[in-house]
Amino acid sequence: MERVKTGIPGLDEMLSGGFYPGSVNLVEGAPGTGKSTLGMQFIYNGIVKFGEPGLLITFEEFPEQYYRDAENFGWDFRRLEKEGLLKVIMTSPEILKLDLERVSGMVEQAVLERGVKRIVVDSITHFEQLASYPTELRNLEYSFINALKRLELTAILTRESPTLLGGEMGAYPLSYMVDSYILLRYVEIDSRIYKAILVLKFRGSDHAKDIRRLEITSNGIEVLERFEGREGLMSGTPRRMAESFVEAFIRK
Amino acid sequence: MEEEQFLESIDPELAEFIKAKINSFIKWDILKILNSNPHTVDTAEKLARQCGRPVENVIKNLEEMVRDGLLEIHLVAGIPVYSLPKDEKTRQLIDKFLEACRNRQVRVRVVYHILKSQEVRLGEG
Repeated sequence: MERVKTGIPGLDEMLSGGFYPGSVNLVEGAPGTGKSTLGMQFIYNGIVKFGEPGLLITFEEFPEQYYRDAENFGWDFRRLEKEGLLKVIMTSPEILKLDLERVSGMVEQAVLERGVKRIVVDSITHFEQLASYPTELRNLEYSFINALKRLELTAILTRESPTLLGGEMGAYPLSYMVDSYILLRYVEIDSRIYKAILVLKFRGSDHAKDIRRLEITSNGIEVLERFEGREGLMSGTPRRMAESFVEAFIRK
Repeated sequence: MEEEQFLESIDPELAEFIKAKINSFIKWDILKILNSNPHTVDTAEKLARQCGRPVENVIKNLEEMVRDGLLEIHLVAGIPVYSLPKDEKTRQLIDKFLEACRNRQVRVRVVYHILKSQEVRLGEG
């Protein structure tokens, strides 16, 4: 089946070629792990490598911060906007939701008029302000995801992780509704912090199951090799395999 | 120095724009935010948070800006949201105004004009 490539070195291979067209994909991580960069790179590569115009929706960060951050990676977002290939829209979660529900809203217009194929919503965490109860939030997110699917957009939704290192990997309701679920984490090894990436779920597709190192370079995100000889990586403080083996089988 | 004289050294089109449409610091703030983030479409409450100003003051200014053609208002399911106008000429004029304000001399003139305008507004009660 056709795939929507992210163009991010190493990530498409983890995703067996890329996302499915028209899928909604969740990227969750702590501040600084690279969620927004991953989203920007997905949009930028979509435009320049795969000819797919994009939308970037922000609820809190000013678009000018995206322009500046993108420029640091050599991605000229302002030029792409002038050429009609990109729009960085700042709005409120309730407005985006209502806009998607109505006929000929700003997102639908961008799809029809500019041929937008990719969208990044940074971040979906802000939807939590709109609901008083978990069931209300679930209904709201479900309706939002379906609106994106109706428009046949391939979407990345970012979500802020509440903990910096490790933390409980609870079953956040949105993770059941999305097509894929990517986790970004900090990992401490030998008194140094690394970034890790894991494809936790990819509905209907094979995907890499290992935890790999992620780096943000001057060209954007690169997914590197897997962490070898460690376990408990997602706890944030992994141990060498040998230690745990000794603990489990010898010290007992 | 009289306001008229104070603005006369500025480009006449810009001076007219400032005299007719820029009579508060909040309008200046809103234009700065929207011009730097040109595809923003948002509510008065969120725009107020973005400029760090009280929402009731921002709403009053937004209404005047819509009336003066500086902004467009749209209703999304009954909720008013604001954006820069599509009209390219107005956008260029806003850009020209903000670009000119990078010059300290112009900025001082605009500040003086706003203070004088606010005196008039207060005087009108």
